[in-house]
Amino acid sequence: MTTKKKRSPHTATDSWVVIAADSALETEKPQNGDPTFVKLKNPATGATSQYLFSSGDERVYEVKAFNEEYRSWFIGQMVQRDGRLLYVTPVDPVFLVLPYLQSGEVEGKFQPLQQVVMDEDYPACTRLLKCKQALESVHHVADEKEVSSQKFHRYNQEKTLEWLKKKVENTVTALKKTDIAVGGAVKSTTYVRVKQESDATEEDYLRYAHGLISEYISEELSKDLHKHLQLPEISSPKVEPPSKKRKLSDKPVEAGEDYTKFNSSDFARKAPKKMTAAQKSLAKVDKSGMKSMSAFFSPKVKQEKN
Amino acid sequence: MDLGVFEADNSVSCRLASAVPEDCKNEDCCLGIDEAGRGPVLGPMVYGICFCPVSRKEDLKGLKVADSKTLSEAERENLFEKLDEAKSFVGWALQILSPNTISTSMLQRAKYNLNALSHDAAIGLVQFALDSGVQLKEVFVDTVGPAEKYEEKLSKRFPGIKVTVRPKADSLFPIVSAASICAKVARDRVVKDWKFAEDLGEVDTEYGSGYPNDPKTKSWMLKYLDPVFGYPQFVRFSWSTAQTLMDSKAVTVHWDDDEEDGEKAAARQNNTSMLSYFGRNKPAGQTQTRETHRFFTERRLQTVDTL
Repeated sequence: MTTKKKRSPHTATDSWVVIAADSALETEKPQNGDPTFVKLKNPATGATSQYLFSSGDERVYEVKAFNEEYRSWFIGQMVQRDGRLLYVTPVDPVFLVLPYLQSGEVEGKFQPLQQVVMDEDYPACTRLLKCKQALESVHHVADEKEVSSQKFHRYNQEKTLEWLKKKVENTVTALKKTDIAVGGAVKSTTYVRVKQESDATEEDYLRYAHGLISEYISEELSKDLHKHLQLPEISSPKVEPPSKKRKLSDKPVEAGEDYTKFNSSDFARKAPKKMTAAQKSLAKVDKSGMKSMSAFFSPKVKQEKN
Repeated sequence: MDLGVFEADNSVSCRLASAVPEDCKNEDCCLGIDEAGRGPVLGPMVYGICFCPVSRKEDLKGLKVADSKTLSEAERENLFEKLDEAKSFVGWALQILSPNTISTSMLQRAKYNLNALSHDAAIGLVQFALDSGVQLKEVFVDTVGPAEKYEEKLSKRFPGIKVTVRPKADSLFPIVSAASICAKVARDRVVKDWKFAEDLGEVDTEYGSGYPNDPKTKSWMLKYLDPVFGYPQFVRFSWSTAQTLMDSKAVTVHWDDDEEDGEKAAARQNNTSMLSYFGRNKPAGQTQTRETHRFFTERRLQTVDTL
């Protein structure tokens, strides 16, 4: 039987299996070019994530991967080792613009967006400014000023939290329409619920939606939003149980119980009152010259010289 | 013997049977069980039963049915003809376990080994005889595994029937010899013109005996080894011969029930050792990054950093 198989490292594949909205692949206007994958800063983690621009950068999509171990694809007459299934789903570009606006807040000035949304590490971020939705919705998170037909923006925390609250409420509505289990009970991935979850409270939904929205905002903002939504903190058993370690002391260690009395002379071993037939017959055996069993285990005693 | 039923779909297990002689329904009968094709890496394993009234046992001897292994293929075919001619008192039934059945049984998650598979085939055939109205009183079996255990298992399963399990039963009891001839003839015919379900073009039929130690078989297996799919369904994938060749020549395939060293598997899955939970400090790395929301983790969804 084969027990150990060496796993060779994943080699880069030149094809993926993708599910995308039709709108993401729209090529109605040929001058807009093909949809392109770009790398942008993930607003929640700050790490690199993959996004897709389409329709001449008018729309932006995030890329998520369904990834489970031990999966591969059979595609036509080919085998693809990478068994992932990629999802290209629309994302609100304001989420992606938000970190840049926030970092511009420090200066506290009104600035044109072109000056705010700039990133040496992710030069593609300027394409976000071509997104219709970004320009249309940025006033939800920032104050606006218009001077001689040029727009200037400044981050506004209160506005942002209000906007995020609406996002959470929208998510709650969406969650209620689907049968996603939002309750606190532990879920098994293989367990399929027969009945719809009815015991989920409004707070469960709110908490769940907050968690989902937090996947798109910084940790700090997530905490602020938590407060803004007036969600109670989950009482987690933060207090650790007291250490069981014995306290060191100078006193000599003493036994808790005294077993020495069993060795004293007044502790006479009494023969068991009843013996079985087998024990009786054993007792009658001539034991002269026989060693006791324990003799074999005790350290060797030097024979006394006569 | 019409093998058409099996040839229509040779990926599954299939039962073939003669008509049950009237005598067998009215008189006490004896039944022999034997198998053919237990060892080979190619082709099906065939289980056969033969039954006749106890009073006609001696007539079987007259047919000179002997242990199938001592006979040539032509002699076996000849004897099978004779058995068929004696259909007024001799009946038979076969269970053809396709190589695919053997592979999938032995390699499935809850392993079902060859002995269990054999025992169940034998039990199924005896039950079939009983269901067909054969008045069974004695059963003779060539052993698979320890004889006593097998005998006990069969006796328990069929109370009221005297079960005798003996090694080399096919040379001791004519009824077992007869069963062994039926099984062997069926296997020979199936292997001889195996209908490949796969599109292999002009198939080289020089696969020899099908036993792992046959050089012809081995070179045939090398020739038909596909790096992705392995072999045609004609090959028993569960045989170590097939597995060793696939391990060395084919692409490595990982299944989620592959055995792996516990620690290594845990490291790969990014699990933390149980011990770390008892310590004062949480293991490093766990506290640093934010946990992904369970909506995504429950659905195995990840963000993608590079394509």
